[in-house]
Amino acid sequence: MRERASYMASPNIQRVSHQWVNQIAPLFVLVATTVLVGCAGDKSILDPAGQAARDVRLIWWIMLSFASVVFTAVIALWLYAFKRKPVERTPAEERRIARRWILGGGIILPVSSIAALLAFGVPAGQRMMPVPLDNAPEVIEVIGHQWWWEVRYPNAEGGEVVTANQIVMPAGEPVDFHVSSADVVHAFWIPRLGGKIDMLPGRVNRIRLEADEPGTLVAQSAEFSGVGYAHMSFPVEVLPRDEFDTWLSARQPEQLADLASQGNSNALAAFQESCASCHRVAGLSDSGEGPDLSDVGGRAALGAGVLPMQTGAITYWLTHHQTLKPGNRMPAHDDMDDATLETLGNWLEGLNP
Amino acid sequence: MTTINRQATPQDPQGPQGLHDDLHEIWGNPRGLKALTIVNHTTLGLRFMVTGMVFFLIGGILAMLVRTQLAMPDQDFMSPEIYNQVFTMHGTVMMFLFAIPMLEGLAIYMIPKMIGTRDLVCPRLTSLGYFCYLFGGIILTSSLILEMAPASGWFMYTPLSSSEYAPDLGSDFWLLGITFVEISALSAGVELVVSILRTRTQGMALHKMPLFAWYILAMALMIVVGFPPLILGSVLLELERAVGMPFFEVAGGGDPVLWQHLFWLFGHPEVYIIFLPAAGIVSTLIPVFAGRPIVGYGWVVFAIITTGFISFGLWVHHMFTVGIPQLAQAFFSAASMLVAVPTAIQVFVWLATLWLGKPKMKLPMLWIVGFLVIFVCGGLTGVMLALVPFNWQVHDTHFVVAHMHYVLVGGMFFPLMAGLYYWLPLFSGRMPSETIGKWGFWLTFIGFNATFLIMHWTGLLGMPRRVYTYDTGMGWDIYNLLSSVGGFIMSAGIAMVLIDIALHFRYGKPAKHNPWNADTLEWANSMPPSAYNYVSLPTIETRHPLWDNPDLPRTMAEGQHGLAVATHGRRELWGTDPLTGKLRETIHLPGNSWWPLFASLALAVVCISLLVRWYPLAGIAVIVAGVFLLRWSWENGAHPKAAPDAKVMPGDPPLHSRTMDGPGLWTMSVFLIANGSFFLSYLFGWFYLWTVSPEWSMPETSPLSLVVLVGAGIATIAGMGVMEKLVSGLRQQRDAGLAVGLYIASGLGALQVLLIGWVLYSANLAVTETAHDAVILVGLIYALFHGGLAAVLSLLQGLRVGYGYVGAHAPFEPAVVAQLWRFNVVTFWVLIGALAVLPRVIGG
Amino acid sequence: MLSLMERLRLTHPIHFVIGLTLWSIWFVVVYGGQAVACEVAPPMPEQGVFNLLNGWLLIVSILAMAVLVALTWGCCQIANRHQGRLRFNAAVSAGLYLFSALSVVFVALPIVGVPPCL
Repeated sequence: MRERASYMASPNIQRVSHQWVNQIAPLFVLVATTVLVGCAGDKSILDPAGQAARDVRLIWWIMLSFASVVFTAVIALWLYAFKRKPVERTPAEERRIARRWILGGGIILPVSSIAALLAFGVPAGQRMMPVPLDNAPEVIEVIGHQWWWEVRYPNAEGGEVVTANQIVMPAGEPVDFHVSSADVVHAFWIPRLGGKIDMLPGRVNRIRLEADEPGTLVAQSAEFSGVGYAHMSFPVEVLPRDEFDTWLSARQPEQLADLASQGNSNALAAFQESCASCHRVAGLSDSGEGPDLSDVGGRAALGAGVLPMQTGAITYWLTHHQTLKPGNRMPAHDDMDDATLETLGNWLEGLNP
Repeated sequence: MTTINRQATPQDPQGPQGLHDDLHEIWGNPRGLKALTIVNHTTLGLRFMVTGMVFFLIGGILAMLVRTQLAMPDQDFMSPEIYNQVFTMHGTVMMFLFAIPMLEGLAIYMIPKMIGTRDLVCPRLTSLGYFCYLFGGIILTSSLILEMAPASGWFMYTPLSSSEYAPDLGSDFWLLGITFVEISALSAGVELVVSILRTRTQGMALHKMPLFAWYILAMALMIVVGFPPLILGSVLLELERAVGMPFFEVAGGGDPVLWQHLFWLFGHPEVYIIFLPAAGIVSTLIPVFAGRPIVGYGWVVFAIITTGFISFGLWVHHMFTVGIPQLAQAFFSAASMLVAVPTAIQVFVWLATLWLGKPKMKLPMLWIVGFLVIFVCGGLTGVMLALVPFNWQVHDTHFVVAHMHYVLVGGMFFPLMAGLYYWLPLFSGRMPSETIGKWGFWLTFIGFNATFLIMHWTGLLGMPRRVYTYDTGMGWDIYNLLSSVGGFIMSAGIAMVLIDIALHFRYGKPAKHNPWNADTLEWANSMPPSAYNYVSLPTIETRHPLWDNPDLPRTMAEGQHGLAVATHGRRELWGTDPLTGKLRETIHLPGNSWWPLFASLALAVVCISLLVRWYPLAGIAVIVAGVFLLRWSWENGAHPKAAPDAKVMPGDPPLHSRTMDGPGLWTMSVFLIANGSFFLSYLFGWFYLWTVSPEWSMPETSPLSLVVLVGAGIATIAGMGVMEKLVSGLRQQRDAGLAVGLYIASGLGALQVLLIGWVLYSANLAVTETAHDAVILVGLIYALFHGGLAAVLSLLQGLRVGYGYVGAHAPFEPAVVAQLWRFNVVTFWVLIGALAVLPRVIGG
Repeated sequence: MLSLMERLRLTHPIHFVIGLTLWSIWFVVVYGGQAVACEVAPPMPEQGVFNLLNGWLLIVSILAMAVLVALTWGCCQIANRHQGRLRFNAAVSAGLYLFSALSVVFVALPIVGVPPCL
């Protein structure tokens, strides 16, 4: 059995716990609680944390209410047609009744509903359009890989900042995500903010999202990408602007390189021998095959949302990654002894600027 | 109008039984090994449906595996590799091997009976279609046993399905198997169109046709136009995988989004191809159980036609997240919502019919009501999904999975079950058990809703589709468990239905004639039907022949109507005017034949040898298949096996092969529509890559020699001119120099082929380097093939003149070939313009 | 006008498909036109909806709608003159032309509200 706790239940966000629903779970409770607390969830689109997602939630509830009325009415009419006593009518009367049904239900009902829907829907989509703004928004580049995420901050003061499998974004201001893919098609989606947009090889797609307030959110790939697809999630940390700036400035390559070089020499040697050909650590190696590890100790989770970060987690990951995340591209480290792995793990955990 | 109605009078020494024996002699099915030669629509329709049911069970088992895996978080039941194969094959099998062939089987079985004729116009094509379906299905499903099944999802997005990211044979199984199965869908589509238009019984004008025939006509035309884009896409992707032509590879100038366009250009109409016949079942059953004609026949025809067209303008709504500009998305969003109008019209037409009639809740009606509940729900979520911002949120989540199953199971499976129960007495002559049937219905209905209603919610909570596992703590656990329980209830229900149907063949009460008191002609058959359907073919004056003339089945069986005498030994049916239903000619059909089986076996060898990349064998098998098909076409018209003499009974119209307008002409036209759709998809691909592909590069100078191409174009125009002259001569009964003319046309076709070959040779294309060169190669090979085909067919026509099968006495066939020439001229010149002229004018 | 309509043989069932075929062609022109324009010469995003591209799309749409409305009117006129099969054909064609015209209007609505190429 896989041991996998979840970093998702984050303490930062006020939310009614829904765990008990899972445990009791009789149907009647379910129906009652569905509307009350069932909407909550780290990936729930009905639990928005930004205006775009809130718009969609509103549209959803309106559409659901309206659809329920239409559905009930149509079904009731059909069933009533079976129950009612037939009335003798002249052909002219029959024609008139039929025409009323067809014009009323077949033309007026759908035309008016879809017109209303379009009038509602088109403006809601424009919020996520990257139209030019007076103050250019923060740009975050996200590149999908099988099965991890490369994240870049091209406009960071002092030079581009690179990280992986996590996004840190400022709260209360629009952020433009420029997404692309290094291999197959992925999709970028932060359910509680809005979205989603496909990540295509050879193209850059843009989407504008905004988080209301600081907290932890979850992103998720939503385009099937093969064996590791189920494990393509990652945490999104929303910080106040000043904390965000601090976070960013702590990740300048020189600082990260300093941090890395201070490590245990055995660990550095092991890294150079076994890891550097795929992983980048600022100042030590420069490969984009696997996720960048320059600040891996500071991330909330390992393996694109598979294992929450805590003491010893990296060592555990190094020995169990193929069971934790089947099919991932990292080779098993059978050739390294446990002590080396542990040193390596501890050093990587220390990469926490 | 020629009048007929030779009757079997009481003085007729033979009497009705004698007529029956005569017809049985000609139409009856052989037994034993020779049963493989059967071309009869009743038998083949049943084979289609039974095979479809088998694939449905396979697909259903795969669905149960999926639900077992997802029942709880962190399950270890299946590895991701296996799970990906299972869900990919579930979708593929249900869509391509169950839904479409099943409905085609129903149409193949039902249409000739409903329009009062004896068989479809191209019986051997029906047989070819069946074997292609069977072999393609077996090849595809065998990949599951080999654990080499496709695992990129049923829409095979590149680059995930490309050789780089899916190096094993899975994608090849999919691409080759599906293309093989699509031959079957296309051939059924083509012949259904022609049969409905040209072989309705006398007097059945277009506006008196049963609604089911309208629905099938629309479905068949949609298959004809809608399948070729996927065939093109599959060919291109297979070429990319096998040879390395970079059509969908960014680095080589291709674009993976092109695959998505081609797939959904097919994939969206496909949904309506499945829905329309099912709605046709509903429109057939409701009037019968309401005991009155449908109200608003014209409205329904309107709804069918609008659905058919609009469904081709929606494909991008599957691609709203691809990053297409929002304005373009808004067009597709609006068009997607428009489909609600014809659908709502049908729902309210059905309601009004029930309202004004005296509806009875029999077992088939129960399934219809179930259909309504589920389908209205699916339709409403469909309108929601058409809204772009909402679509972005729920796209590729379980919400979409739920919606899709509501539309497909509600819109196809439930009406199908209604139809199955309704027509069961016709298939077998027995009635099913109401009790087991009701149990089956309620279990299926409850199980279905338990599975998929809840799944909407799982999707809203953010569960992506196609994940093989999920963490606890997302709030998804209980809903997934309930969905899985529902899934198993549903399969219990379906098992009940199957048991009911299996038992009824043995224990069912014998059905009385026309047990539901239906109005349409198929109930004038004996139950179960004979191979030739009707002893005599009636003249129809109304939309409800059996209500307005309850005596019709008896008089038809007694031979009191047309074409009752069969002493000539031909399989005959009426050819009528497509609009008015006036009698035009007597169509004679070919009898049982080995050629369809042999041809499809050869095609299966092609398929398998391409799969294992044994190209010499594939090449040989292609030639063998071609020879079989040409041999098949040889046994037509005035050939001794078809209709060596032109004698007809006094008063009957002439044999079609002795006129200038037989069904072959129509078949060729409809086939060319499909071919044209393929060609347009190709042009779309060329212009799409040219304008949109990120790394496309157009060479400074075109590699194609314009002079030689124009020369080839002139050769094909000259060939067409020769053919046109010959055909207009035949129209005036002149056949002097016919053979020579045909040989000249054939030579001109060969010249065109040579010139195109020269262009190809001298162009020195780097087809594995750039998408530009690869696309050009495909276009020129297309032209090469068509030029060659026209040359070969003209040559064979020339030979047939020598044998005396073609001439002023049998002038029909050159006109068919002339159509191909016209098509070639148009497509080849468009190709010259697009590939060789425009790049010179516009430049890269 | 009416004499032109008479020459079009509006009682023939070919008109069942012409209206929606015109709609499809219009759809391809508008969708393809904006796609190509966005690749070749995209208007400035600052222009919002008031740019040359949206203007052209709107003109094409109005033309398509006008043709379809005229055909609807013609079919209605012709339908009233016939009975039985011919009336059925013309009436269904009228409905289909009308639907095609309305579809043009409906699908074209976003042109006045959404800037292109974003």
